[in-house]
Amino acid sequence: MIEAYFIHLLILIGIYLILAISLQLSIGFTGLFNLGHIAFFAIGAYVSALLALSGIPFLICFLFAGIFAMLFGFLISIPTAKLKGDYFALATLAFTFVVYTIILNWTSLTRGPLGLPGIPKPIIFGINFTSNFNFMILTAIIALVSYYIIKKIVTSPFGKALEATRDDELATRTLGKNTLKIKSISLAVSAFFAGIAGSVYASYITFIDPSSFTIMQLIPILCIVIIGGLASLKGTAIATVFLVLLPEPLRFIGFPSSVVGPARQIIYALILLLILIYKPKGFYGKVELE
Amino acid sequence: MSVALQLLINGLIAGAIYALVASGFSLIYSTCKFVHFAHGAVIAFSAYILYFLFSVIGLNFGFSVVLAIAFASLLGYGMNIVYNKLRQRKVSSVILLIASFALLILIESLILLLFGADVKTIGYIKVAKGLEIFGAIITPLQIFIIVASFILLILLFYFMKKTKMGKAMRAVSDNKDVAEIVGISSEKIYSWSFIIGSAIAGIAAILISLEQNLEPMMGTSLMIKGFTGAIIGGIGSVPGAILGSLLLGFSENFGSWFLPSGYKDAIAFVILFLFLLFRPKGILGVKREGDKEK
Repeated sequence: MIEAYFIHLLILIGIYLILAISLQLSIGFTGLFNLGHIAFFAIGAYVSALLALSGIPFLICFLFAGIFAMLFGFLISIPTAKLKGDYFALATLAFTFVVYTIILNWTSLTRGPLGLPGIPKPIIFGINFTSNFNFMILTAIIALVSYYIIKKIVTSPFGKALEATRDDELATRTLGKNTLKIKSISLAVSAFFAGIAGSVYASYITFIDPSSFTIMQLIPILCIVIIGGLASLKGTAIATVFLVLLPEPLRFIGFPSSVVGPARQIIYALILLLILIYKPKGFYGKVELE
Repeated sequence: MSVALQLLINGLIAGAIYALVASGFSLIYSTCKFVHFAHGAVIAFSAYILYFLFSVIGLNFGFSVVLAIAFASLLGYGMNIVYNKLRQRKVSSVILLIASFALLILIESLILLLFGADVKTIGYIKVAKGLEIFGAIITPLQIFIIVASFILLILLFYFMKKTKMGKAMRAVSDNKDVAEIVGISSEKIYSWSFIIGSAIAGIAAILISLEQNLEPMMGTSLMIKGFTGAIIGGIGSVPGAILGSLLLGFSENFGSWFLPSGYKDAIAFVILFLFLLFRPKGILGVKREGDKEK
């Protein structure tokens, strides 16, 4: 029993880790205040679920989830490229609402508020990931590979160009870098990872409905990114573990789930506010929030 | 013909409600220069306070209304204290936006915790039979909402144009440094815009709660509508906010002629998105300071 619970927590940590490091890529490393991450997560989850339900093998669903989300990330990046600071944040926030409304209302495809039940668990090369233990291994592999790839990206020369764009876009352009292209790529890659996180989530929970993709869900991820500290992958990973586990004791004290849900959000929102006020660099941040 | 008239009336009712949300929000934006998303939470919480005082405790309705509006002002003032701490570090408007977003989620979760997820009704005014005007139907309550919003908006307009406080607010909005040189304390003006803007939110909460059911997430959806109205009209301009809100109310209702009604919200988001991309200063708005660099 207790083992099953730990496995569940580890899978959650894996999914949140993928979401948080990819958001860190756009917010922390590129300076794009992207509030549309949940929309990419939702697109990935729905693409993966719909393909899996029509009998397509997991690996293809998984890749298509990422590619679709990446495509949307790229499309969003074109018109928003010239928007600055809060206007970029608001435009991506509006994108989250648009995606939410579409999945809620396109009932012939998504079944709207009824959601999509019975999403099959992955089978890859004959290995069955139906048991939660196997699924945990799979999630861990995907999360670690994602971490490794993003780490490679940010330490590469391209990563330096990302950070230069964040710190001084005009100067970076003067040095002959196409900053619009750099920002587009960053947002598209970030969206790709949010998409595959959506695919993992959908095949783990086996049921998705629009309520999993509201703007509320953005708060924990944003909180992880800011607590861990901007432009720090190590900080993000530590913050993910810490923040996913933090509200768990509430369950043991014996509160009903109608209390645990809102209490979780209150804890995250409070932490976010306190960090913004008292520790703007987060715990491992390299740059201060401005 | 009667369908078009009905849509026009529905658009007017929606627009009047959005205008109340947008004008308080715009007032705060004009002086403080950041997107105070938690304005929606102020509306939702005051509506629940009204429900608590009137329907649970059973206080006199007039007294509950006054207390709910006072509560809204106090909540707005409290939020300004949080923003103030951030402002002392000279953070950018993005950080203030993130903070206001956190406040919105905080208050909405608090409402969920205190009052539960089920919808609540105030039930002060009994459902009355609608009046028929050329085949379109409007209830007396809806007429009251439209009239009350317009009186309130005219008072707000007068306040901004004629009173000393209103003029000081416009001065800070126009140029904070010059306003400080002539002896206007911008910190005080920030506090006052939060107090007055949130009182308008409180009044909006009361009118909305007479017409609609209360639910914990109502703040977010109202805020998006009010914010979209403000963006369409020109953010930071109170008359612009009113114009934009009415336009939004009409386009949503006439849009439902062509689209299934579930997409009503999507219309607002798409308009918001288009304006943010192509005309961020809105119809009546002026360019923001930060935009000049581009």
